Amino acid sequence: MRKLVVFAALGTAIAVVTAAAFGSTKAPTRTASAASATVTCGKTRTIGLAFPATGPAASIGQQQGRWGAFAAKQWNKTHKTKIKLIQGDTQLPDTAQALAVAHQFSSNSKMLAVSGPAGSQEVQDTIAVYKAGGLAGVSGSATRVLLTRANGGKPRETPKGFFFRTVPTDGQQGDRVAFWITKKLKKKRVYTIDDEEAYSTGLADQVEKKLKAAGVKTTRDHVSQTVSDFSSLITRIPSNTQVVYIPWQLAGKAQTFQQQLRAAGKTAIVFGSDGLFAPGTFGPKEGYVTAFPVDFNSPLLKAYKKAHGGQDEAFGLPTYTSVWVNATAIDMACTAGHGKTTRTAVRKTLSKVKLPAKQSLLGFDVQFLTKNFGSYQGPGDMAAPADFAVFHIVNGKYTRVG
Amino acid sequence: MHVPLLNIVDTVRSLGWGGAFELFRNGVVLGSLYALIALGYTMVYGILKLLNFAHGDIYMVGAFLGYGILTSLGGPLAPSIPLVPLIIFMFFVAMVGAGVLGVVVERFAYRPLRNAPRIAPLISALGVAFFLENSVLLLTGGQRYSYGAFELGGNPDTGEPGPLFKSVFNVLGRPVTVVQVLVVTTSIGLMIALTLLVSRTRLGKAMRATAFDREAASMMGIDTDRVIASTFFIGSVLAGAAGVMFGLYIGETYHFMGFLAGLKAFTAAVVGGIGSIPGAMVGGVLIGLTEAYATGYVGGQWSDLVVFGILILFMLLRPSGLFGSKAIQKV
Repeated sequence: MRKLVVFAALGTAIAVVTAAAFGSTKAPTRTASAASATVTCGKTRTIGLAFPATGPAASIGQQQGRWGAFAAKQWNKTHKTKIKLIQGDTQLPDTAQALAVAHQFSSNSKMLAVSGPAGSQEVQDTIAVYKAGGLAGVSGSATRVLLTRANGGKPRETPKGFFFRTVPTDGQQGDRVAFWITKKLKKKRVYTIDDEEAYSTGLADQVEKKLKAAGVKTTRDHVSQTVSDFSSLITRIPSNTQVVYIPWQLAGKAQTFQQQLRAAGKTAIVFGSDGLFAPGTFGPKEGYVTAFPVDFNSPLLKAYKKAHGGQDEAFGLPTYTSVWVNATAIDMACTAGHGKTTRTAVRKTLSKVKLPAKQSLLGFDVQFLTKNFGSYQGPGDMAAPADFAVFHIVNGKYTRVG
Repeated sequence: MHVPLLNIVDTVRSLGWGGAFELFRNGVVLGSLYALIALGYTMVYGILKLLNFAHGDIYMVGAFLGYGILTSLGGPLAPSIPLVPLIIFMFFVAMVGAGVLGVVVERFAYRPLRNAPRIAPLISALGVAFFLENSVLLLTGGQRYSYGAFELGGNPDTGEPGPLFKSVFNVLGRPVTVVQVLVVTTSIGLMIALTLLVSRTRLGKAMRATAFDREAASMMGIDTDRVIASTFFIGSVLAGAAGVMFGLYIGETYHFMGFLAGLKAFTAAVVGGIGSIPGAMVGGVLIGLTEAYATGYVGGQWSDLVVFGILILFMLLRPSGLFGSKAIQKV
């Protein structure tokens, strides 16, 4: 009996390995053919939505899922052509899952565009797969400057025409944070802690550079995303530190950190980045957080709040914009192709999309740059006046102040 | 890569004696948790010569059980029973639940492989670890859950922390909070209880006999299956207690928290001498102190490097650990 069980297990293992090998040989072929295929547009068009539905970033990822689904629902209500969203769970920060989703999307010949991925490190790791599949990603949250613009001697990290985003960049965020700390809060001693991920280190570098240029005393430290006990890290923070800047993605961790900071008797203000915009999860006694630009007076936003327990979930709103941008680009490409289109045509049309403010929900018209602009923006970024908002947090209550 | 050796001296000076005490306090608290988990590793190894890599995940399940009780009794902002009975109940459920899980794992994943080559139960242990992690991942969606211990019993309107995070006393101006005292005293109490159980009870004697020579113990009439199950139960109970204390002290619990904690506790057991109960206790505290001082004086990104570097050093230079005895082989 035991031998039978062992042989059955071995047989299953061999079958799985064979299927995986056989499957992986097929995958590049499927992707290549999907990349160049002409698709009959029909009434329903397929868009992929790559976001972290599960995993440590699920609290903000699920906002993106809900806003994406809301966008599809709104589009289908107001247009004759319909969009169908296929969701892919990327489990940020596990980029292996993001890669699996990229392969899955690329080999789906019906898929014409992708909203996502969510994290900058996911874009870095999956862009080659999306490029091979001919798909462009329109991200509602990847903010790293180098994704669209060469900077600091380093080259641009995505090929032009394959990555767009409906959020401002870390460079703009860094400027905003530095401005707020130096000019509004007038603080002179800042301790910055990055979590060693691409998003965090990039943003921390930007802010540190700006603060030093403004004559602020800055100290830089690092902590792994696997750490939960911050007590010894907090010991390193001088008692006279005025601001602790934490450009992290995991709001739960930031909440744990700020509680341990207070328990240690340190009174520094905690300043978080857009990844920590999570009312209900990150709620320091006093702190600040940057956030994506959102039109809080929009009737659609109010409709979303009503349908989602009164929560605006603003972190996910740019994903609504990205789905709308993709749907518009597909519509335009299908019209130009008289009912047929390719992924290449959709990609090229993305640069021409212009969403009025009423549709973008960001409070301004959305259109994408085709050339470098300013210090931090390149082709694929939104043209001005896109910039970050600032929220003041007191005992967990968020109030927009900038 | 920036190696901050010259900065260490500056950091030590700038933190001063107050900072040194704070790091010592942090290390002892963290080390107490590692010690409790390490005891489970060392007890099971002592009896079965098995490295139970699923033990860290039993600690994780214990943390979730404690969280479940807390939320089902109103949560940190509005608990339906007073704080002290609430915490006792959380401990009770987590410890018993983890203990039962440990017994179930032993019965179905290790006992059938008792006479198999040693690699078989080791692989089974890894399989159990992944099974537990992914089961919890499926149930929780990978989200992190906060005990909210900081707010437990506090004032949500003013953000005033609850009694667990109030200072009991200060040393060199650095506070020692209620929860830190709770973690250390509870850990010491449990370790004393374990030592007494092993040295003064019939079960303890049976455990020592089984660890010394399982076959001979069986021939002497000891029900070795029951003794082994009891060992797993006791080790898992300690891990469950550590899980709740981690949740109360640090605040968060998630599906992967047992992996790194388990590895560090395993390191502690090796440093102390795998199979030695006093060794696991001392090893746990040493690893906790190492982690705290490495983080505090060198930097957060260095602490894991230093801890696992110590594991390698001990394996190379003193594989029997601080309290382990070198095995005498008959020729």
